[in-house]
Amino acid sequence: MKSVRRILVFTGRNIKEIIRDPLSLIFLFALPVLMLVLFYSIFHELTPQFQIIYLAPSMISFSHAFLSLFVSLILSGDKESAFITRLYTTPIRSYEFIIGYMLSVIPLGIIQTVSILLFGGILEPSFFSINMLVCVPVSLVSILFFTSFGILFGTLFNQKAVGGVSSIMIMGQSMLSGMWFPLESLSDRFNAFIKILPFRSGSMLLQNIMMGTKTDAFENLFKPLIILSVYTLAGWGLAILIYMRRMKEK
Amino acid sequence: MIKINGLTKKYKDCIAVNNLSLEIRDNELFALLGVNGAGKTTTIKMLSCITAPTEGDATVNGFSILKEQEEIKNIIGLSPQETSIARNLTVKENLMFYGGIFGLEKDELKKRVKEIIDKFKLNKYEKKYARNLSGGTMRKLSIGIALISKPEVLFLDEPTLGLDVISRHDLWDIIQELKKDTTIILTTHYLEEAEALADRIGIMSEGSLIELGTAAELIEKAKASNFEQAFITLVKEKNA
Repeated sequence: MKSVRRILVFTGRNIKEIIRDPLSLIFLFALPVLMLVLFYSIFHELTPQFQIIYLAPSMISFSHAFLSLFVSLILSGDKESAFITRLYTTPIRSYEFIIGYMLSVIPLGIIQTVSILLFGGILEPSFFSINMLVCVPVSLVSILFFTSFGILFGTLFNQKAVGGVSSIMIMGQSMLSGMWFPLESLSDRFNAFIKILPFRSGSMLLQNIMMGTKTDAFENLFKPLIILSVYTLAGWGLAILIYMRRMKEK
Repeated sequence: MIKINGLTKKYKDCIAVNNLSLEIRDNELFALLGVNGAGKTTTIKMLSCITAPTEGDATVNGFSILKEQEEIKNIIGLSPQETSIARNLTVKENLMFYGGIFGLEKDELKKRVKEIIDKFKLNKYEKKYARNLSGGTMRKLSIGIALISKPEVLFLDEPTLGLDVISRHDLWDIIQELKKDTTIILTTHYLEEAEALADRIGIMSEGSLIELGTAAELIEKAKASNFEQAFITLVKEKNA
C-alpha cells in the first residue's frame, strides 16, 4: 500500500513537471492537432493519404512519439540535478521510479489520442464512430512503446544529448510510418524493411481499427499489433534492465 | 548516535575515504571540514546509503548502513550540495511531494508542511515555482524538504554554499534551532560556519580524519590565534 502511494505521489509530480513546461504542451497537444487541421484542410481532396481516416490515426502515433522526447528529458533532468540521488535517501525504490515515469505519461498519451480523434470528428463528422472506443485503449500499446524508449534514452544520455537522440523516434514515426507518402511507392525491399519496424505497424493498426477493417484480421490488425507489442516488450525489458543497472552503479 | 567503524571508499584510481572511525552523539551538531576532495561528501553519501562503502561499516541510531538501509532511510534527512528540488513544483508542492514519499498521512502532512513553511519563513513563496526562487530561498526549501519526515539525523552538505552573508546567517539561526532535537552532520568550506555552529569539528584531509575536537580545542592544539589559522596549520602539518 505504501509502495502504491509513493508511486502515485511520484507520478503526480512527473505529470506536473511535464505539463507545466509550455514547450511540452505545444509539442504534445497543440502541434499534432494543428498539423491535423492544416494537412487535412490543404491536402485531403488532393490525395487519399490525407483523408481523415488515414491522417488522424497516423497523427495519433506521431503525437505519441513526442512522449518519448519528454519522458527522456524529465528523466535525464532528474538524473543530472541530483533529484534522483536525493530521492534515494527516502524510502522510494527503483522499480517505483520506473512505474512512476510510465504512469505519468499514460494519461497524457490518452489525452493526445482523444483530442486528435475529437478534432478528426469535427473536421469530418463521419469519422465519429464506435471504433473510437477500440482505438483509445489500443493506442495504449503505442504510448507504452514510445515511453519505454523515452526511459531508455533518458537513462543513457544527458540532457544535452537526449533531445537529439529522442528525435530519432519522432523522425522514425514521421518518415517510416507512411504518414506523408504512400509506402507502396518505395522499393519492395525497403517496404519489407519498414514492415518489420514498429512505426508503420503503429499507425496501420490504428488506421485499420478506425476503418473498421474486418477482412484479413490477422494481416491488418493482429500482425501490426504483435509487431508493436514485441517492440514495446523489448523496449521495456531494455529500459528496466539498463535503468536498474545505472542506478545501482550510481 | 552515529558510529563509524573503519569506513573506506575506494574508486578505481583513488581512495576517497580511508579507514574513517568516529562517533557522533545524539543531538550533536558535528561539522566535517576539509579542502576539496577531502572525502566529506563521500562520507555523507555512505552514511545516507547513497553509496556503499568498500570496507567498514557504520550504524545510524543503531541501524547498519550495510544491512538496514530501509530503516535508515526512514530516520534521516539529507540536504545535498546540488539543488535537487522539483523545479516546476511550487514550494508547498515540493514539501507535499517529499512528505508523500515518506508516507505521511494527509492531515499530518498538511500540518508538517505548514510548520516548515512557518519555520523557514517561506510563507510568501509557498505558491511560487521552485525554478523562480533565489539561491537562499532554494537552500531553505532544500533543508525544509530534508526535515519533512522529522528525521532523527540530518545531513547538511554545504548548506550555505554560494549564499550571501545575510542569507547565510538566516540559515545559521535555523540550523541552531534544529540542533535542539536532531543530530546534525554538516559539511562546509566556511570555517566561521563550523566554528559558530558545531559542537565538535572533524577535519578531513585526503580521505582521513586528521583532527577532532571543539573549535577551542583545535585552536589550542594548533597554538593558533583563531580558527582559520588553526585549520591551515593542522592541515599543512598533516600533509607535510
